[in-house]
Formats: sequence, structure tokens, C-alpha cells
Amino acid sequence: MTQTTDMRPSVPMDADIIIVGCGPAGMTAAIELAEANCSVIVLDMQPTPGGQIFRNLEDNISQKSSDKQKLLAALGPAYRAGADLIRRFRASSRIDYRPLTTVWEVRPDGTVGWLRGVDAGYLRATTVILAHGAMERPVPFPGWTLPGVMTAGAVQTLLKAGNLKPTGNVVLVGTGPLLLLLATQLHKLGVKPTLIARTDRFSDGLRAMRHLRRNGLLPVIKGLGWLAQLKRAGVRMVSGLSDIAAEGEQKVEAVSFTAKGLRVRQACDLLVVHDGIVPAIDIPNGAGLALQWDQANASWRPRTTPDGLASSTLPPDLQPERCAVRITGDARRIGGAEAAIAHGQLTAQAILAELGKGSGISSKSQQAVDRTLSVRPFLDTAFPPGLSATLPDDNTIVCRCEELTAGALREKIRTGFSNMDALRGETRCGMGPCQGRNCMITAARLIEEAHGACVPTPPVFRGRPPIRPLPLGALAGLNGLDPSATELLTLEDKPEHDVEATSDVPAE
Amino acid sequence: MFSPIAPLTHSITVYLDDQPITASKGESVAACLLRAGVAFNRLTPVSGAPRLPYCMIGQCFDCLVEIDGIGNQQACLTIVRDRMRVRRQNGAAVALEHSAQ
Ligand code: FES
Repeated sequence: MTQTTDMRPSVPMDADIIIVGCGPAGMTAAIELAEANCSVIVLDMQPTPGGQIFRNLEDNISQKSSDKQKLLAALGPAYRAGADLIRRFRASSRIDYRPLTTVWEVRPDGTVGWLRGVDAGYLRATTVILAHGAMERPVPFPGWTLPGVMTAGAVQTLLKAGNLKPTGNVVLVGTGPLLLLLATQLHKLGVKPTLIARTDRFSDGLRAMRHLRRNGLLPVIKGLGWLAQLKRAGVRMVSGLSDIAAEGEQKVEAVSFTAKGLRVRQACDLLVVHDGIVPAIDIPNGAGLALQWDQANASWRPRTTPDGLASSTLPPDLQPERCAVRITGDARRIGGAEAAIAHGQLTAQAILAELGKGSGISSKSQQAVDRTLSVRPFLDTAFPPGLSATLPDDNTIVCRCEELTAGALREKIRTGFSNMDALRGETRCGMGPCQGRNCMITAARLIEEAHGACVPTPPVFRGRPPIRPLPLGALAGLNGLDPSATELLTLEDKPEHDVEATSDVPAE
Repeated sequence: MFSPIAPLTHSITVYLDDQPITASKGESVAACLLRAGVAFNRLTPVSGAPRLPYCMIGQCFDCLVEIDGIGNQQACLTIVRDRMRVRRQNGAAVALEHSAQ
């Protein structure tokens, strides 16, 4: 269909649209675009459609055993609600769905590097939609790397797709709706949490009241229902805790924290942590797309127009003629499944309008986006980041991959490695397999701490593809590579993100 | 730490450090290892500390294992296959040494 009018030789497109991620936002956009006769490729890391929220839903619904029925009942109606969307996604013959495929590079011109098993290559499309979702906010605290410490999302994934439920002493620590939802799901599966220890306080809830909107009442009522269920079940709950630490040698054995001025210690076999959800910025940052700091959610998110168009930070001479990337769903802004569906649809409409099809963004879609996001100010205020509220002490590991402590980073920052890329180069923080996904925010805040002032947008590591490890064999057999497209946009051409030049770093 | 919700169906065999263990078709290698009750899937290269899966969605890379001779594979993103050979990692990936043998 549409060809770019680039100066470079035009390359044939593999599809009109490539969508990264097959959760609610990605599926909705794919269906909408396919219905308008666009060719769509959907790349997703998971084996089946649904994203994290509807993970393994098809399989769980198809199994009729009483255990699986009990699981479905425990996961609740919000999980089953995805069935229809998945059915419509599967039914569309214009969607080329490629599961178990990771994306290790995206370029603003619409090029996507993919990996499936040991096969890898590049694809091109007129438009790329990033709908790769969210991740849990990293929470560096003493002992967070011990076996037996897991995120709430991880435990939920094991329920949905691992056919596993926790046993023994289960303690949940942190804040946010997901923590309470998981606790009720576990309870319905016969796993009564030993303790739910929350960082949020009663006063946070009170302050949040002024953000209550009529449109956002339903999720709030749901949340209060979960709390009531847990209270009735006699689950012990503490709120307003701080200074959490996981204890143990080879695995977690206990958790301790301070609540109401007292140090509390609780033995546990599984410590479930959760501090809210943030957009996954690995792909946008690796693509050199502009990010912004979302103060309300205390997280980075990509800078986009309301209809999801991203902007490239490449210098003008390296800019593609148009930025081909749009971002939707939780990857753009945390809002949950309904908001992701609403914005996925709106993004598809915007793309169709760009292609001269359809009638543009409908007021219904716009209203759906506004309505589904209207509860966020309440949630952001009621459940502020807690586990990550204060910076870790010197002995706490910040970088899980390279096992670097906050103290080691502070030391280097003090001696002059005070911008992100210099710090990374010197310490290897952010250079391990996770590529900074879990340490970047803490490293940025440690730098802020040293500067003694709050920078409006915390600095990021300069993203460098491949953002996921590529086996050598896959790299050797890359297919679909368009050399003319790589000529300008090589890794070295990417600008430094930081205001300070790396050359300010003192010589060793 | 974990127990099955429903009895295993569609069982297949994978090899964990050369020992056969039962896996369920369609599950991730990480879920399989957690059900098997391993104490760790890797020991870190820097301090030798044990690690188990942390995020289960491909973000933390703590679930790295060697699969069919290729090191540093994310167990939470890999689906089990019959007769798959999974090795826990002791330090950095040893895939190259293996293939050289
Ligand atoms: S468990 Fe985090 S990447 Fe696999």
C-alpha cells in the first residue's frame, strides 16, 4: 500500500502495520485495522493471545475439570471478559499472528527486529504500533534477589499459565490494586495469605477521595469489595509500613518491616511484592523515542500525541521523514485492560484516517478513553509508590544482573560518573542481560540524589539494540535485513540522551 | 513453594541437568522448574548467589538457563518441548564450551 517517499531507496513493506504485543490494546487495534483491509503482523512473546491480563485464557476456558473451573472463578469476571476479544482476533484472516516472538529492535522508520527461537530478522511496515504493555515498578530493598521473593504479577502468571498456586506461608507486601486482587484470588483458591503488609496509609485513601469521579466509581467499589472479603476471611493486614527487608541465606525465610514505629518480623516461604505498574519503556527507549516523566504515576512514559504518535529524538539529519511508531495501551499510559482496548481502537482509527480510510477518531472512542482513564488520579493518590519511596541503603543491591549495590553506585557517582551512560560504562550497571529494565530508575534517582535537586525528568540510559539478547546463530542468519535502511541508523548514530556530555567524565 | 492447581495432563519429559522430570505441555520452563521445586535455576556470575524466577514476564532475566545447548535462555518465555534439555547455569552462560566439546 503506502510507500515512504524517503530519500533512501524504497524497500518493500512486509505489512501495512506491525503490532508489537498481543494484549487488549494490540488485539483491538489489529482487529480494527484488519477489518479495514489492512495487512497486519502481530509479534508477541507469549505462546497465545491475551497479554498478561488475559494470559492463557483460551486454554483455561477450554478445560472443564472442576479444578480449572475453580481457577476461573477465582480469577474472576475481568479475566473471562477477554474471551470474546481473543475469539475475534483469532477469527481474522488478515492478521498474521506470530507468537513466541521477541522484539529486540524498533526503529522510528518502521523497521522491527524480531527473534523466534533461533531465527531472527527484520520486518518493515508503514506503521508500527507498540502495544507491549507494562511491567511492575522495580523495588530494590534488602533481600529482593533471594529465591522466594517474587512479584505479584509473577504469582498471577503462575496461576493463569503455570497451573501453580503458592503453598506454605505467603506474605504479600506493597501497594496497589493488583496486590489486593491477587490476595483475594489466592484466598478463593484456598491459599490464605499469612499477612498483607501495605505501604499505603488511610490518609492516602482520604486524600484520594477528591479525585473520585462518577465514571471511576466501579473500580473503587470493586477494590473495597476485595478488602471486605479479605477482612471477612480474617486475613491479617497492616498498613503504612516502611523499611522492608527480606531475610534468609539461600532463600527467603522471613520478612521484616517497620509499622507504627515497631519493627515487625514475619516468617514466610513466599514473599510477594508489588509497588504498582509502570509502562515498559525498553522498546521506546531503544528506538530513541522521546520519553517524559509522569509525576502522578512516578514513572517514565513515552511522549506521544493523544492518538499515540511517538516522536523520535534522533538529530534532524537522521530523522526518518515521518515517525512511523505509535504507542498504545499500558505501554503508553497505565490504565488497565479497558483503557487499553479503548485506546487501541482510537489508535487504529487514527492510522486509518492517515491512510485515507475511515472517518477518523469517533467521539465514542474518545469518550471511552476518557472514561476508562478517569479513575487513574484516584488510584495514583490512594496507592502511591511505597516500597520504592525511599532510596535503598548502601548495602542493597540495585542492579540484579551485575549485583551492584546502591553504595557502589553512590561511590562512583561521587567520583564524577554522574551521568547515566558514564555510570553504566564504569560500573556495568544496566549492561547485564536485563539491560537496565530493573535498575535504570534507581540509578537515575541516585544521580538526582547526588545533585541534590530534583531534575524534572530523570535521565535514562541511552538505549542500544539489541534490547534483548540475540543468540549468535540467530544473528548470523538474520533475514529481511535492508542494508540501505541500516546505513544511516546505526547504533553509533544514536544521540546521547544526557544533557551532560560523557566527555565530562574524569579520566581514569 | 508451589503446588499444582489441577492434576497434570499431557505430560511430557524434559531433562533437568540430565535427570528426567515431568512437564506439562504448553507450560513455561520456569513454571516447570518451580513445580519441580528446584532451589535455584542459576547461580549468579558475580557472587554465586542462587536465583529463581522473579517477574515471570521476561523483564528481570533472573530465570536464565541453558536450553538444548544454548545458554542465557529466559525460562519464563520458553515453552517446554518433549525431551528438551535444560541446564541450570553456574555463573555466566557456558553454551560455547558445551558446543566445543
Ligand atoms: S522470570 Fe523475569 S525474565 Fe523470566
